[in-house]
Amino acid sequence: MKIENQGQCLSISEIHELTAQNSTLFRDEVQAALGTSPTLIEINLSKTRFMDSSGLGALFALYRATSQRNGVVLRLLNPMPEIQQLLELTQMQQLFEIVRR
Amino acid sequence: MKALLICPSKGPAVPHLVELGPLATVPILGDCVAGHWIEHLAALGARQIQVVAADGEDKVREAVGDGARWGVRISVIAANVEPTREEAAKRYRPAGEPGWLPAPNDVVFMSHLPGCPQLPLFESYACWFSALVAWMPLALTPARVRVKEARPGIWIGSRARVASAAELIAPCWVGDQVTVEAGAVVGPGAILEDRAVVSPKALVTRSWVGPDTFVGPLTSVSNSLAWGSTLIDWRTDSSLHVPDSFLLGSLAKPQSSSTTDRFGRAFSRRVMPESQSALITALRSRMGRAPNLKLPG
Repeated sequence: MKIENQGQCLSISEIHELTAQNSTLFRDEVQAALGTSPTLIEINLSKTRFMDSSGLGALFALYRATSQRNGVVLRLLNPMPEIQQLLELTQMQQLFEIVRR
Repeated sequence: MKALLICPSKGPAVPHLVELGPLATVPILGDCVAGHWIEHLAALGARQIQVVAADGEDKVREAVGDGARWGVRISVIAANVEPTREEAAKRYRPAGEPGWLPAPNDVVFMSHLPGCPQLPLFESYACWFSALVAWMPLALTPARVRVKEARPGIWIGSRARVASAAELIAPCWVGDQVTVEAGAVVGPGAILEDRAVVSPKALVTRSWVGPDTFVGPLTSVSNSLAWGSTLIDWRTDSSLHVPDSFLLGSLAKPQSSSTTDRFGRAFSRRVMPESQSALITALRSRMGRAPNLKLPG
């Protein structure tokens, strides 16, 4: 996983899977990066091939953390079709701004 | 009267259906494709039906039996390759032999459902779903006593259990022994095959849910084919194996029919570990507050 801080934008990428194996690490590292008070958080899911409920829980935790901060935008970038299906199955696509570019 | 049925063996556009077994045995609205055709041909007067199967003839034989339940005699013929209609007619239907149903019902290639030749079943998942929805009103034949049209466009199996706080929106098909829990929304364009379980506040719309499939609480199955833990978006052909069975999973296990409902509830409790339950709880609590989320019911 790669976390980059580009001014007000926090960019998280290179997530190959988000599961029970790494969701705690994901939460901790992203939580630490939130200390820089970004106004835009982009999670690039273009390389994420597998996600389970723990991964969804990690995304939800991030959503909850950012929704308490006014003006912070949380975006999911380019999820693969399977991940998009999982987000739709759990209705979590309604929580996130999903962007394809 | 005699008739010949040809089972399609190829379905390159619907690989997940092919994986499940011969396409003629895939369940549709409470019976398999072959079963619907046999019933149709029996109603037209056929009493002797030959079924040509180039793939999985044992499973085809298992699905159709000897034909007694339709009042016909059935023999399954194994073929090396799938014959075309013309090839099968040439080989198995002697020209000029009396006692056959009139064409086109004398030799039928089961690539569509009875009465819907314009709606091919196996050309894509979208075709499959469109054909099923279009065929819903035709599926309720006089011989099918376990399903009734409860309201216009809403068909419910006699042993289905639909909570009073669930919402059914036409057109929808709720198969036999299906359970729809409180707050769930089923339809429009939803088909729940036999013994499916739709949990509280789940949403099933423009989708087909296969037999013995568990749809978890608060989940949304839309524009999809769901069977066991496999979820296929029929618009994009994208498929997903859902890793967490408390979201979507299979209930198929040897069991007596009368215990299905209890088994479904027990299953959902058993497979929902604490951390996953926490996700559901979090979603539920969030959904209760978020104005942009529309909860069914």
